[in-house]
Amino acid sequence: MSGAQPSLPARSDRRAALRRDLTGLLWVSPWLTGFLAFMLVPIAMSLYYSCTDYNLLEAPLWVGAANYKRMLGDEVFGLVLKNTAIYALFSIPLCTVLALAIAALLNGRVRFRAAFRAAVFVPSLVPLAATAMVWMWLFNGEYGLINLALSLVGVRGPNWLMDAQWVMPALVLMSLWGVGQAMVTYLAALQDVPRSLYEAAALDGMGPLGRFWHVTLPMISPVILFNVITMTIATVQVFAVPYVLSKAAPGGPDREMYFYTMYMYDNAFVFGQLGYASAMAWVQLLLILALTGLMFLVSRRVVYYRAG
Amino acid sequence: MSSPGLGTVTRRAAIGALAAAGVGFAVFGPRGAKERPGGRLVLDYWEKWTGHEGRAMQRVVDDFNRSQDRIFVRYLATSGIDQKAMVAIAGGDPPDIVGLWNFNVPGYAESNALIPLDDLAPRFGVRRENYAGGIRPLMSHRGRLWAVVNTAGTVALYYNRSLFREAGLDPDRAPRTIEELDTCDKALTRAGRGGQLERAGFLHTEPGWWSWIWGYSFGGRLYDQDSERSLVDSPQNVGAYEWVQSCTKRLGVEPLKRFMSTFGNYDSPLNPFLAGKVAMAVQGPWLANVVNAFKPDLDYGVTPFPVAADLYDPAAPVGLIDTDVLMIPRGAPHPEASMEFIAHTQRQDVVEFLATAHCKISPLATASEEFLSHHPNRGIRVHTAIASSPRSFLCPTTRTWLQFKEEFDAAAENIWTLHSPAATELSRLQARTQALLDGAADHRRRRAALAEGRA
Repeated sequence: MSGAQPSLPARSDRRAALRRDLTGLLWVSPWLTGFLAFMLVPIAMSLYYSCTDYNLLEAPLWVGAANYKRMLGDEVFGLVLKNTAIYALFSIPLCTVLALAIAALLNGRVRFRAAFRAAVFVPSLVPLAATAMVWMWLFNGEYGLINLALSLVGVRGPNWLMDAQWVMPALVLMSLWGVGQAMVTYLAALQDVPRSLYEAAALDGMGPLGRFWHVTLPMISPVILFNVITMTIATVQVFAVPYVLSKAAPGGPDREMYFYTMYMYDNAFVFGQLGYASAMAWVQLLLILALTGLMFLVSRRVVYYRAG
Repeated sequence: MSSPGLGTVTRRAAIGALAAAGVGFAVFGPRGAKERPGGRLVLDYWEKWTGHEGRAMQRVVDDFNRSQDRIFVRYLATSGIDQKAMVAIAGGDPPDIVGLWNFNVPGYAESNALIPLDDLAPRFGVRRENYAGGIRPLMSHRGRLWAVVNTAGTVALYYNRSLFREAGLDPDRAPRTIEELDTCDKALTRAGRGGQLERAGFLHTEPGWWSWIWGYSFGGRLYDQDSERSLVDSPQNVGAYEWVQSCTKRLGVEPLKRFMSTFGNYDSPLNPFLAGKVAMAVQGPWLANVVNAFKPDLDYGVTPFPVAADLYDPAAPVGLIDTDVLMIPRGAPHPEASMEFIAHTQRQDVVEFLATAHCKISPLATASEEFLSHHPNRGIRVHTAIASSPRSFLCPTTRTWLQFKEEFDAAAENIWTLHSPAATELSRLQARTQALLDGAADHRRRRAALAEGRA
């Protein structure tokens, strides 16, 4: 009996801790159930399907790594990968620079500052399908406002969406439409930079450019990293705008605006090749993980985190 | 134990709130439509049509529901119906009847996603021989009956008679051969002062829905079902796409693209055929609905699409058949009742009512004179004749058709934009499409071996 005495409080503590844990789990159970049913289980199933011949209507048939091997010889896969990479390569830096520039401008003392901020942000709230339709007419080779503006300065604008060479630049320009969201986060970060640092830099004789380069950029670099990563994830998955455009602008180049996610969608729900589409989804995830990892690696050298 | 302070949620209160929310959801939350009274069997019918087409089908459904007191059909217009039907069938909760397109039949049939109708349909008076010759093959796949046609269309050449007159052409003598089409095309094409196109006689890219059909007018085919071979690089097809390139060469790629960017949507007054920008265009009978809605005074004519001179035969026009089909999905619990409804939709009066409302042809072997004479499309007899022609054709009956078509569209774009010679492009396409067909055959063999193993 004497040996059992010290363990009684410990057991009751454990029981209380277990009770607390169970209560906690009970409270988060709606989320947990949803996560398991709609995220974890489908993710695990898609990994399994990626190794099968599966069209949804028939039972999946195990094919091992065949779907992954198929990608190596699939011309269209190579093409959509190339299109997506080119789009990301131009769209992400352009959006980042533009959002940062607008945020820096609107961080100063500008008349109607709030109205300008709203004007830059509001377009990012417009549904993507509507955005695509608006841009389709803006880029129209004959009636488009963009070519009209170019003609005013004596330039004959290209046939943006019908010409294979101009489709990608047009899509990259369209992506700038959504810089408002990134601009808002940059604006918040800019307002968080201590004034004292600017004052110290000014005392050291730095001009506005020097202050921006040596004070502003390092101080907001974590926010730049965050935005670049989220933009990369979104850009690698670009779908809605090119999908709507390719359906709504008949006669345009067929595969110049064909992106990774569009091909994945077609494989899954149009061609009935869910196994191949699942494999593509996993490759896309690995690509995003690799890119994100690379950015974190590079960020160690260029991103400055304030202590505290 | 201290009592909970203001703003603290007790466990009892939280559980009570959750329970109240659950009860509230159960009592006031969303629910399916009530079953119809009178103990009638309720069937769910998924169909793609909305708007006036949906309303016409709803009238057919209402008519059936009134005609008897045992079955009640619920009509549900569904967007993206082929994908949703696929998910519903795979999930074991399919609709009782599903309305898809004829190109869905091979894939669904080979995947055992449908109930075969060989025994069921004849018991309700639905037989292959009830239908026009060109329609019959699409109802079956590999010898079994899987689908019944509810509306159908054939593709023909529409021409603007006023523009024919203006160009000095005889509007009562439509082009019959490719050579005649080219002559009319040249006479009708008009360039503006700056050299830019103002009107095209004929464009292969308008409306751009069927980039793969031109070879049939030269005696070609795309696919041989028996040998499962792609035939896209046959000499006839190469000849057809060289003809496509000759038209582009005449007008120039860049001027053509600029001209095409001025076109509006199909279903609008800016439709280039309605707007007089294109004088001749391939279309189905449904075009008359757009004409009647936006330009009822348009003087148009309809004729079978011209063919190579040695193929011309007025008794056997060449043309594509496109249809909407009704099928009973695997796992549908009441196939007999579903078939009874489908049989109702196949009555001649019902078929003709729906075809008139949708501005399509009757898929049946015979059409009443009343239907033909009161149809909103003045060229309905031309479209009807194509459906019965021995030289009418369907899209290749393979489960890979949508991918095949995607490849074809990409190649056709390279051809008409003169990126590469037609023969070279079709040769590349031959390899790609054959790989798709081989993949499908391989898939079927593996499935068959698995089924044998299980047996």
